[in-house]
Amino acid sequence: MVKRKKSWLSLTITAGTALLLAACGGENEEGTGSEGTGDDGDKVSIEFWSFWGSGLRRDAIEEIIEDFNTSQDEIEVEYVYQPWGDIWTKSLASIAAGDPPDVIVQDINSVQQRAEAQQSTNLQEYISQEDDMESLFYPHLWETVFYEENAYALPFNTDTQVLFYNKDAFEEVGLDPETPPATWEELEEYARALDVQNGDSWERIGFYPLWNLGSDVWALNADNGVSWFDEEGNVTINTPEKVDALEWILEWQDYYGANTINSYEAEFGSGVADPFISGLVSIRAQNINYYTNLLENAPEDFNFGVAPLPEYEEGSGNWSWGGGFVLEVPYGAENPEASYEFMKYLTSTEVQEKFGLNSFDIMANQEANTNLISHPDLDEEGQMIYEMADRNLESTVITPVPLTAPDFSSLVNGEIDNMMLGNQSPEEALEAAQASVENLVEQNE
Amino acid sequence: MAVATIKQKKKMSKKQKKDALWGLFFVSPFIIGFVIFMLGPMLFSFYGSFTNYNLTSKMDFIGFNNFRRMFNQDELFWKSLYNTGYYVLFNVPLTAIGSVLLAVLLNQQVRGMSVFRTIFYLPAILSGVAVYVLWMQMLSPTSGLVNTILAWIGVQGPAWLFDPQWTKPALILMKLWSVGGAMLLYLATLQNVPTQLYESAEIDGASAFKRFRHITLPLITPIIFYDVVTSTIGAFQIFQEAYVMTESGTNGPANSLLFYNLHMWNKAFVAFDMGYAMAMSMVLFVIVLSLTFVNLKLAPRWVHYGGGRSE
Repeated sequence: MVKRKKSWLSLTITAGTALLLAACGGENEEGTGSEGTGDDGDKVSIEFWSFWGSGLRRDAIEEIIEDFNTSQDEIEVEYVYQPWGDIWTKSLASIAAGDPPDVIVQDINSVQQRAEAQQSTNLQEYISQEDDMESLFYPHLWETVFYEENAYALPFNTDTQVLFYNKDAFEEVGLDPETPPATWEELEEYARALDVQNGDSWERIGFYPLWNLGSDVWALNADNGVSWFDEEGNVTINTPEKVDALEWILEWQDYYGANTINSYEAEFGSGVADPFISGLVSIRAQNINYYTNLLENAPEDFNFGVAPLPEYEEGSGNWSWGGGFVLEVPYGAENPEASYEFMKYLTSTEVQEKFGLNSFDIMANQEANTNLISHPDLDEEGQMIYEMADRNLESTVITPVPLTAPDFSSLVNGEIDNMMLGNQSPEEALEAAQASVENLVEQNE
Repeated sequence: MAVATIKQKKKMSKKQKKDALWGLFFVSPFIIGFVIFMLGPMLFSFYGSFTNYNLTSKMDFIGFNNFRRMFNQDELFWKSLYNTGYYVLFNVPLTAIGSVLLAVLLNQQVRGMSVFRTIFYLPAILSGVAVYVLWMQMLSPTSGLVNTILAWIGVQGPAWLFDPQWTKPALILMKLWSVGGAMLLYLATLQNVPTQLYESAEIDGASAFKRFRHITLPLITPIIFYDVVTSTIGAFQIFQEAYVMTESGTNGPANSLLFYNLHMWNKAFVAFDMGYAMAMSMVLFVIVLSLTFVNLKLAPRWVHYGGGRSE
């Protein structure tokens, strides 16, 4: 009697465990059912992850995927939206679990980092079969996809930092709205002309460099386009030009006062409350994507121009900084060939042009961008943006994550924050940051 | 417990064996869950902390390298430990005091008390990103509610989340808002305090404060102890707040909100240095374990159990 009960007991426990495990497994399958071959025979079905969940980009990508699915009958792409905050940790977890999506939109700055850690698939064998894949893309973007001379991604879209300026405000104070400031010195002159101070408060702020760019971009602009690391991976934080750039930023902060800046910054809204649209700020250094904000929120007659970031000194170059996204096949994906086909489609001139036209993104495909400069469906402003972008990309630097110090930025930012608070001089800040980052590199080597 | 009894008496009757098995059966959901989802990962990360594990391609044994780096070279490790310690030091006592006081207030016999109780408990059921975003607006330097109220009484409020000296106090303040959860525990305990104790104290002429100090407080010490232990553990694990309120883990101005778990997260998912992150989690485990041990050792000095100590 007892024995029978005992075996019954162990059976129940086993069954219970199995049930528990099954219940936990079920959740996973929902997210990553990529092996499905679809209902209609030989069709390969692949899963595409991106973070475009709403608005212009979502509409554009869904239309493009539908076009792709109807254009051929071998590959069926399923679009899966993953929120911005989750997508890459989720994909990492799925790669570690051996059940990743087939194609994913990834950050352009960490392609090599993922390639090194075997999180992405080597695409060189497919790319080698192509005639001239390289010439499709802007050279500085193409460079980012290589790790040990093998390509691990295809560039998809990009961006660049430019100046937006309020032409009406320029005219009001007697500046020529067609000649934006070309050097840092000119920028300062212009800003002084545009400032409107009323007692203790500012009614209009001509320009403040950290709205909305990081000090790293100004440092790179001053230092001939060399970021915190040079091309060989040496730490180039503490250079005279970069110290200069930080001093320049401090001067601006002193001029308007840290309190003014902090309180304005905290009030900055988006939409109609945007300080550039409301006229509070006349010149704004910002990602060129900012154009979509203006398009959505600025009144019809809002009169603005775009210009390259001014030069540190005459002739030093309008160096700017950019980022962007690439398409990758996560490591362990089952149909890399089909995935590559789809990626190739997404980076083709026609599709890139379409995505750009619908989302106003700057595309990685050069021809697509140049086509958009004179595209009949774009208005003058839209064409101006693509013209500016195409020109600016020549002096735009991408700063991939250094493999020996992937998480260096908090070290540098901490020192610069302390400098902005007046706790140390720019020289001290960069000296300390240089030492800290060199120490981090040493730890990882 | 069942295991202990088996060991004590070498020979068990059939009935006892049967009972022990049934006992095990009833606790099996916990045991299975614990082994699969807690113990397994814990052992794995214990081993992982001695490797250069990066989730996908490497897992080589590197001895104590991760720990050596952590203590000798990683500047941000010490910074994050300091930030977390600061937070724990203020958060734990303040929330404990706050929730006890609130519970005492809400234990009065006043009409409509259930409405007040509901109102004060409400923040505890709101959680996550929505609350943090709300607080980011309330803490806004010029137009935020907090500084507006401070201005009424003639105080110029600080720039809260923008000033590294005030970022942690801002977070501690925010956490005080949601003491409702612990308050509920205290409230339940307060209602168990026998009223005749108060009555006899009142007859002896004890003031309200004395009644609180000598009757209420000693009788709720077990719950205070429980609250302090669990909230210390919870406070060491602070992550979400800092991650959300600093725009995806930028650590706050001058790294002032770089908490231990945030640094660990950065190491794991930004640098893919999972082995190092695992080593960090082991160190945190030891810190929390020893603090809990100290708490347990100190407990007999101030915690009063109604029925006397059981040992």
